[in-house]
Amino acid sequence: MASLNGYKDIIQAAISDFKRNKVRTLLTSLGITIGVLAVVMLIALGLGIKNYIREQFESLGANLITVLPGSGFSGGGFGAGLVGGAKFDEKDLRELERIPELKYVVPVFFKTSRVEANGKKEFAYIRGVNEDFFKLRNVKVIRGRQFNASENQSKAKMAVLGYTIAEKLFDNPDNAVGKTIRFDKQRFEVIGVIEKSGNNEEDLGVVLPYKSTYGGINPDKTFWGINLGVESEKDVEIAKKKAKEVLLKRYKEDDFSVAEQTEILSTINQIFNILNSVLIAIGSISLLVGGVGIMNIMYASVTERTKEVGIRRAIGATEKDILVQFMAEAVLLSALGGFLGLLIASIIVILVRPFFPLSINLLSVVITLSVSSAIGIFFGVFPARRAAKLPPIEAIRYE
Amino acid sequence: MIKLVDVCKTYYLGDEEVKAVCDVDLEIKDGEFTGILGSSGSGKSTLMYMIGLLEKPTRGKIIIDGQDVSKLSDEELSHLRNRYIGFVFQSFNLINRYTVKENILLPVKYAKTKIDFDPEKRAEELMKRFNIYQRQDFFPNKISGGQQQRVAIARALILKPKLILADEPTGNLDSKTGEEILDLLAELNKDLGVTVVIVTHEKTVADRTKRKIFIKDGKIVKKYL
Repeated sequence: MASLNGYKDIIQAAISDFKRNKVRTLLTSLGITIGVLAVVMLIALGLGIKNYIREQFESLGANLITVLPGSGFSGGGFGAGLVGGAKFDEKDLRELERIPELKYVVPVFFKTSRVEANGKKEFAYIRGVNEDFFKLRNVKVIRGRQFNASENQSKAKMAVLGYTIAEKLFDNPDNAVGKTIRFDKQRFEVIGVIEKSGNNEEDLGVVLPYKSTYGGINPDKTFWGINLGVESEKDVEIAKKKAKEVLLKRYKEDDFSVAEQTEILSTINQIFNILNSVLIAIGSISLLVGGVGIMNIMYASVTERTKEVGIRRAIGATEKDILVQFMAEAVLLSALGGFLGLLIASIIVILVRPFFPLSINLLSVVITLSVSSAIGIFFGVFPARRAAKLPPIEAIRYE
Repeated sequence: MIKLVDVCKTYYLGDEEVKAVCDVDLEIKDGEFTGILGSSGSGKSTLMYMIGLLEKPTRGKIIIDGQDVSKLSDEELSHLRNRYIGFVFQSFNLINRYTVKENILLPVKYAKTKIDFDPEKRAEELMKRFNIYQRQDFFPNKISGGQQQRVAIARALILKPKLILADEPTGNLDSKTGEEILDLLAELNKDLGVTVVIVTHEKTVADRTKRKIFIKDGKIVKKYL
């Protein structure tokens, strides 16, 4: 069959059989459709969560190195290092600024407070930083302006508000610039509003020149952490090493940690990779069940067409011709199921995308289509072999 | 030419050995019109299917065109069935999912070597000759028994075989239509020189052939009783 008319003929024959049996064809491939749908959706969900987290980190800046108190991310778990340990001060800043690879050194003073303005009182995250903060963290000021270096030096009482806090206090961020806010018994003039980021801590943030916090708000003149920025990613490792050396002169190793964003990201990625594998394994079970469904129908189909097999053998079909015919049907059935599953998954992804960044990549498409075809081959080969091995004479007499 | 030398076919029904055909020596020459006559269970069908290479003898040799077929592989046997032999069955054995024309052309799909004529054209000639041309796009269950048997004969002839094996070709037809089918087979034998072997239990059918072979209890006998 294959030699003269090619596989096109076999596939055409199988497809025309499917057309005559539309309902059964659809029901048979439904198992594979559901299996593929489950696997693709779970991969899409996993990728979506990963992408979402990566985007969040990338919005912080890819060349960002974070100095935090405690052993932090490089050692034990999250959060462990966020309490206790070193308190950084201006002396550390000056030492770190000497490292040539570092383009930005941004101290971060951090506290929470209730901010008053316009007769309202709202919870906010107060951050004291220098002027480089905006560049290092890709923070865009959409109303008014940011503060500059000399305003920091002169301890100017200026504040740049996060979008949500500006909205809460002044109803509309457009109204915020030029107004005064009050917290911790101090007054600050609002000079700008930051673009909405989706991150609560940033949107409810109040960004101040760090020197202006000295005194009432930050009497110790210390910082919770220091953000460092390098020019390009290749400098990250060397800058980290040098920053560590500098800080080791004053602090014990366990009192601080120097981590880059990718390190934190890779920890999170590891967790999600494990989670993903488990989900895919569960999804694969439904693919397997779908394959068994195909095998079942193919066995029924072989029995139903026993006489036909006999006729075909009588007019010259070889065992291999019969095998190929039934294999082609099984593989096409599961490929059809796989394709339908993929199609439905794509539609769901497109529909959900505005709300959550689900994503289908080429790899998952290739894997699911080849896995479903492989399932067709594996579960198709047993019924097809039975058909091929039928004794022609018994087959032709079968009623 | 077909030659059977000391051919035996035994089955096992449980532990019991059943001899369907035994000690058969037979020669059918090219162009013969032969009837194999026997009652039901006499082994005549088994004999025919051995000649038709659908069944292998447990003992003895079958020689077709000087070639001992017992040593041939599945591919080679299938090729011979495809190009050398055409089958006609009692119950027509057409595939109901395919149209008349698709059924007639089905053997072409299994042809492994080049066909030196246009099978489509030959199918049309055969359909015209057998008066089923108007029915070419019909499905077999929508045409009469006589027409179905003519489709089956056209299918058997599509690749210009040397031998037609017909197993009770009139068994499912009324006597008038049966006569027409027998006329057709006789005509093929006479006009095209195709060797025709008809297996039957009806003496009237066997009487139409030029040579009669009687079979009883799996053995060839001189006289039919």
